[in-house]
Amino acid sequence: MSPPRLALSLAALLAAGTTAADSGWLYYGGDQGGKHYSTAAVIDRDNVAGLDVAWVHRSGDVERYGEAMQNTSAQATPILLPPSAGESLVYCTPFNRVIALDPGTGEQRWEFDPGIDRRGDRTFRCRGVSYAVEPRVATGAHCHHRLYLATHDRKLWAIDARDGKACDGFGRAGAVELYGEEGYVPGDVSSSSAPTVAGGVVVVGSGVIDFARATAPRGTVSAFDTLTGKRVWQFDPLLGHASSGAANVWAPMSVDEDNGLLFLPTSAPSPDYYGVDRPGDDLYANSIVALDLATGAVRWHFQHVRHDLWDYDTPAQPILFQWEKNGASIPALAQVTKQSFVFVLNRLTGESLWEITEHPAPPSDIPGERPALTQPKPIAPPPLVDSFLIPSNAWGLTPWDRGHCAQQLAALNNLGLFTPLSEQLSLMYPGSLGGANWGGGALLAESGVLLVNINNAAFSGKLVPTPAGAASAAKTDHPESGKRMQVTMQGTPYTVDIGALTSPLGIPCNAPPWGKLIAVNLYTGSIDWQTALGSVHEMGPITAPFHIDWGTPNLGGGIATAGGLFFIGATMDRQIRAFDVNNGETLWKFTLANDATATPMTYLYRGRQYVVINAGGHYMFQRGYGDYLYAFALPE
Amino acid sequence: MRNLYFLPVLCLISAFSHATTLHIMNAAGEPLSRVMVTQTAVEKVVADLSDDGYAPHGVLTPADTTITRFTDADGNVSFDDTAGAVQYRVRSQGYVDQYISEDSLAADSGTESATDDNGDDSLAGDSGEDSTDGDVGEDSLAHDSSEGPAVTTLDVTMVPMTKEQYIASYPSNVWLSKLSLGGDEDLKNSFELNCSFCHQQASPFMRNERTVEQWIAVFERMNSYGARLPGDEHQQLAELLQKEYRELRENPEVVPEPRRWEGHLSSIEMKEWVIGDGFSQMHDFLIHPNGFIYVGDNLFDRLYEINTETGEYTVYKVPHNDEQQPGGILGNRFVTFPKMHNYLGVHSFAVSPRDGNIFITPSMQQALLEFNPKTKKFTTHEMPGGYYPHTIRVDAKDRVWFTLALSSQVAMLDRTSNEFTLIDLPARGVQEWLILKSLPLIFAFDPANRPQPSPTRESIGLPMPYGIDVAPDGGIWVARLYANDIAHIDPETLEVTMIDFPFEGPRRLRIDADGMVWIVAFQDSLLVKYDPKADVFTPYELPVVNEIPYALNVDKERGVVWVNGNQSDTILGFDIASETWKVYPMPRQRFFTRDIEISESDGAVYTTNSHFPTWQSEGGLPTLLRITPLPDQAPQH
Repeated sequence: MSPPRLALSLAALLAAGTTAADSGWLYYGGDQGGKHYSTAAVIDRDNVAGLDVAWVHRSGDVERYGEAMQNTSAQATPILLPPSAGESLVYCTPFNRVIALDPGTGEQRWEFDPGIDRRGDRTFRCRGVSYAVEPRVATGAHCHHRLYLATHDRKLWAIDARDGKACDGFGRAGAVELYGEEGYVPGDVSSSSAPTVAGGVVVVGSGVIDFARATAPRGTVSAFDTLTGKRVWQFDPLLGHASSGAANVWAPMSVDEDNGLLFLPTSAPSPDYYGVDRPGDDLYANSIVALDLATGAVRWHFQHVRHDLWDYDTPAQPILFQWEKNGASIPALAQVTKQSFVFVLNRLTGESLWEITEHPAPPSDIPGERPALTQPKPIAPPPLVDSFLIPSNAWGLTPWDRGHCAQQLAALNNLGLFTPLSEQLSLMYPGSLGGANWGGGALLAESGVLLVNINNAAFSGKLVPTPAGAASAAKTDHPESGKRMQVTMQGTPYTVDIGALTSPLGIPCNAPPWGKLIAVNLYTGSIDWQTALGSVHEMGPITAPFHIDWGTPNLGGGIATAGGLFFIGATMDRQIRAFDVNNGETLWKFTLANDATATPMTYLYRGRQYVVINAGGHYMFQRGYGDYLYAFALPE
Repeated sequence: MRNLYFLPVLCLISAFSHATTLHIMNAAGEPLSRVMVTQTAVEKVVADLSDDGYAPHGVLTPADTTITRFTDADGNVSFDDTAGAVQYRVRSQGYVDQYISEDSLAADSGTESATDDNGDDSLAGDSGEDSTDGDVGEDSLAHDSSEGPAVTTLDVTMVPMTKEQYIASYPSNVWLSKLSLGGDEDLKNSFELNCSFCHQQASPFMRNERTVEQWIAVFERMNSYGARLPGDEHQQLAELLQKEYRELRENPEVVPEPRRWEGHLSSIEMKEWVIGDGFSQMHDFLIHPNGFIYVGDNLFDRLYEINTETGEYTVYKVPHNDEQQPGGILGNRFVTFPKMHNYLGVHSFAVSPRDGNIFITPSMQQALLEFNPKTKKFTTHEMPGGYYPHTIRVDAKDRVWFTLALSSQVAMLDRTSNEFTLIDLPARGVQEWLILKSLPLIFAFDPANRPQPSPTRESIGLPMPYGIDVAPDGGIWVARLYANDIAHIDPETLEVTMIDFPFEGPRRLRIDADGMVWIVAFQDSLLVKYDPKADVFTPYELPVVNEIPYALNVDKERGVVWVNGNQSDTILGFDIASETWKVYPMPRQRFFTRDIEISESDGAVYTTNSHFPTWQSEGGLPTLLRITPLPDQAPQH
């Protein structure tokens, strides 16, 4: 890091008057390295059973936007501002409204509505906002304490953390347009993750529709001056590859300020399932790319999927930690993936700290398609999903639906993990939902134990020759619950057809649990424990009066605390749960108004510990929507 | 070590119309001997693989080839002229693999005189550039074409591995040697017997961390493929494998160094022909008097006819009738395997001394196959009984002998009468006799409803006659794998004599020119000589630790027994006269040798990479490999 930027960074930290370790929650991921860990221990294993609702805040989105809520996904994780910045709890709604609350009561203090352009059919979501002190603005002056927000309609906003007003002098009236001279085109590109702020720059990635067009928009990552919004550098993860696009960074990034490194989790190149026109490995797609924070120059990269044909984006924030081994402490990075591997890298060099075995990959029978011969697989930890699924493993409630599933499996093209799609229906296991997804993992203090929630439901898919003149028919990048997704991949000869592999009863053809919580020991490379995550009692035609803990597909993440607890929603049963980090035992659960497909956070405020989670449902689950923010605490 | 999967990204070497000498040295400039250098064509052959990924029946098809040689005491290794552009992988124990780039050669094409094929350090100029790999570094290059054949000399500096890299590069056998399975030797024997005849154990693919549940799922799947790991061992073995592999990962320094490569290697050349794909299993093969090599793809009912002179091959699909199902009469054991075309199970090969026809055991049928290499036609000889035709030999009287592994018999086809004789080998007890006699009843059931064995460690199953060979006196010798005995059959009277084998796991056997019976003891990691006249067994320790030898063959002309080193990526040569070993490292990691055939005329030794699954082998493709003494180079010791 250059000296001026280092100074800026240190000044910002001092001015903020708080760190991630003092039981606040200053960053989306708990800290800049995405550990999702809190030192707060007021709530612990012994008393968590007494946890109850402290307050509920409703954003008003339901009343304001009505039917448009059906196309939303509530994914926000609030942050708690330091006292110097007003000590508000701040979060964003799917329509990018930023709301500041009293952390003790949930009463609204201010709101900022960027008034986004809501044209197009792209789903609305906002995972969070980022906070920083701008030392070039006088203490006490407006916008000394800043919040940064990247919006659905591709603007980067800087607003004052104390009153929610836009910061003059940042871009144009507080906003920088992230799109180019061509103007904003609804639908193709949006932003959902919180920007990354460090070293005097605010860095923004994007979400790109990467499955509907061969040459999707570029997945450019841009860094802007935190004061002015002037672009400092930008990085195209595909290095200008002309016949592809995307490889964007939609998941949160991580920062190692001490070493001046920014870590990008890059996604798949476009189009997701057809790679004839993008031969080779497609660097730096599907990678963790370490950039020089100050310049954007590539320091190293680690590509975990070569020539992606499965939509195996890097889905989650890289987790920064110290890897303890044989008395040595190595600056490390853990990356969970959709293909269910956990890679542990030296974050200074990108070298894997576990031996990598090259997993042979099956060939493709699509003309001109040349999948990579092998894909990297760490010798440890083990895959979080056993991707081997054969007819004799088919599962069903009855012999009839089990037999049906066995027949489906027998008819599938199934060459194991990394089977490329063909014109014959192929097994996709894990599917594009993962494995792990954007919820990432939570690192349990310095123990090296990573708690990860994963999906464990098989998909099937095929490539269907596209009739002339056909158009894309889907707005989502994954099939919605109970439906198959069919998308014309414009610029290719094919339409992709993907859906969950289920029996006629709509039940997954693989054995439960269909969602799992797994404790992965990164130091030993082993799994300490695993348990089902979620109950299917609300997923049948009628709601069962008791929980059936077979696990459910899940989106969102969890957090670990020094109280020995892991809090998570994410499931398709409207629950938030607290697990014992030592053994996976469920110690507490609460039924919310909607599914909480978001990552919770926790903080200490005036001696009381709160656990907060956004519960607004997820369009993909098709289980209703809402605009709730719940705070839980022990009785006073 | 980096592996050949990365070949597509390797840097390229220009085509030169002359030989190349590589001079390999360490960072101090000292020459490195015993360095393995593999030359590969840059351009892959263009082949019609339109039949499910394989060459169509009867179509002449080019094969990719590689040539591997080793540096001599001066650190030099030479390769002959090539028609096209080539690339080199340089491998030395303890050093990072080097890939020689086009840049290394192309930058300077100055010429100097060369007077011998080995080149000369003094010829190496100082004009090299760093390779694009960045590891070769400080290469220097000279081209010599002023008189005699032009020679390119390339200096390559090897970079030492880190300790971690070096340990990770060890072959499987040394890792396996440190698995004690809780100190339970019987359990380890059972594990090795049941889990090591298809693929290596303790390779990185096996050392992968797995949960206990994942290990048990693997055992169950492997048992469905044909392993017979006792069910009551699954839980214990899963827990021990998880525990001990973790301990090895935590303490890799306890793993012993593999045997160092030796100086004799500079006197040989290894050539490989790539055939099949990552799902194939190249099982047995034979060297035919017509000059072709015939290799059987056990999982795809295909016969490969390879012309080693031209590097071309022709595939012949073994026909099956409409009534036959995948898996034949055994039932499809491979329902879970991704790709399969396995109705007969092309297993073992023997050639008729009378007409050159090839006899093949189809292990999944009650039949014997005959292939006429002139007409390319297959004939099926239906058998009157017997199950699992296994290893096959033809005697001097053109009688075809083969073991029937499941029914514990030996079959003989008299080609004169075209009739089979089935010879029962004795059961070890009444229960076993009853089982053997009830096999026709059991096989009367549809495979899906057939009673399945539930082997335990004490009752692993049937005796399983396995290897077979014909002695110089015409006697037939057979090894029974699970019974730990060998049988002698008088070919005229068909009298059977059973002899206890004092070691574990007699798998295949061969007879030398003096009538000595050589047997590999699978689980005991031994080569055993049996002297029939003296009735004495003599064990010989293998020169590598924890090897699990599958097969062997004897070079009768030179008095050398060749033994699989299928866990150690080696093939082992035992000089009968001196009772000394030579070890030959294979050019690919996870190279599981199975059948070995000898070209008695020139001393060439052939084997196949028969690792199942093949995709775990370095390069991911099966190969036929030939080891040939280099002309004009005296072996070094």
